[in-house]
Amino acid sequence: MSEDLDEIYRRASALDPSRPSEAMRRRVLEHAAALAARPRPAANRARWRPAIFGTLAAAALAGLLVMPRVFNPHPPAESADTAAPAKVPPVVAPPPPASPPPLAGAPPFASAPPLADAPSMNAAPAPPPISPPQAAARSRAIAPTDASREAASRVDALAQSGAAAENPIASAQLSSPPTDPSAALRRAAETGDIQKLRAILGAEVRIDAPDARGRTALMLAAAGGQAESVDVLLAHGADPNAADANGTTPLKAALAADRPAIAAALRRAGAR
Amino acid sequence: MPDAGDSTVADDSDEALIGRYVRGDAAAFELLYRRHEMRVWRYLQRNLRDAATADELMQEVWFAVARDASRYLPSARFTTWLFSIAHNRMIDSIRARRRHMNLESLEHGSDEVARQLTADPSASPIAAAIARDEAAALIRAVEELPREQREAFLLQVEGDLDIEEIARITGSSFETTKSRLRYARTKLRQTLKEFA
Repeated sequence: MSEDLDEIYRRASALDPSRPSEAMRRRVLEHAAALAARPRPAANRARWRPAIFGTLAAAALAGLLVMPRVFNPHPPAESADTAAPAKVPPVVAPPPPASPPPLAGAPPFASAPPLADAPSMNAAPAPPPISPPQAAARSRAIAPTDASREAASRVDALAQSGAAAENPIASAQLSSPPTDPSAALRRAAETGDIQKLRAILGAEVRIDAPDARGRTALMLAAAGGQAESVDVLLAHGADPNAADANGTTPLKAALAADRPAIAAALRRAGAR
Repeated sequence: MPDAGDSTVADDSDEALIGRYVRGDAAAFELLYRRHEMRVWRYLQRNLRDAATADELMQEVWFAVARDASRYLPSARFTTWLFSIAHNRMIDSIRARRRHMNLESLEHGSDEVARQLTADPSASPIAAAIARDEAAALIRAVEELPREQREAFLLQVEGDLDIEEIARITGSSFETTKSRLRYARTKLRQTLKEFA
């Protein structure tokens, strides 16, 4: 019966006189001939070099990030997103309390050794301001030494006693690590879950927070063809030029995915 | 215009032809175009039910094929790549039209707005020529399928794609795609039964 259906469909199609216009056909073939006459870069042949170097660089970076965890007796308690951000955009989370309550047996936060001074394998430049829960997560990820463990424990205690009580998102991060709002934002953007996306954006979240590969919510939405997500994110001020670890921008991702409408929306928002 | 069917590359596979085109052989592109012209056209025209828009998108699809030929990876079938481009252009077009004309109901198959787009079926050349024929009834039934079912069916019969490829192109799961195809075929068979 299935074959009958296909056969009848083919017969009907053969009888259908509607055709694409001759003018369109001519334009396509002329355009193709003009492109064929031009020398084009052999994209596929040249790609292996950046691919190999990129893979080696990624493996080296992953090794640097993983080694401290291997030697760190503390169990990891945060997601990969917060452990190794390729780029740290400005934080939108609320500022820490102006005068945190003093902790028993520990000096006040202000007098603790600054995190930037702690030995770190990341050797990052001066970090932007971060909220206490993020500081706690980051300190656990990067510093296996005694000094940094001490700093981390102070920050952990501070985060649990002060900021978490005032910030429901931070509180959720501490109590249940998988509910990372920026990761949820990226998932909602990528899957086109607009209702959820708006709800997350209504709370405090870093709209351009990247995942471990440096991809922002806007990048994932553009690459996934989620036009409405792109519109919503741009309307909320997402950076249209935030590039991932490979230098791919949302505009490049949209073009690679053959999404001209999304590319146009990004360009209107200032994407280059 | 030379007859592409007489070309020396006539027996080449799609994948070989696109490779030749990347190396500057415009005749290979023409052969490729003529080989798939009507399949892509019918896919667009029957999904959109608007010949002018289908013509416009057809040009965009083939411009994209010519422009991005060097990015085509032979690990995937050419038709999968071709119909994924056609699908993306069509979805963008539907979204743009929905924004401008509030075509919310286009998602749900034949309804008032869809009927406006379809125009009067009896006025189309095919309906006039083969009215009361089961083939005409089948084409109308295809056009009246819900959009997702219609697209899956057309990707299967015009693109000659399997369920996995259709699922990948439309961004749906294997099971969802399988269900859409089953529902579509059931409805079309029912149409033929009623016609008989």
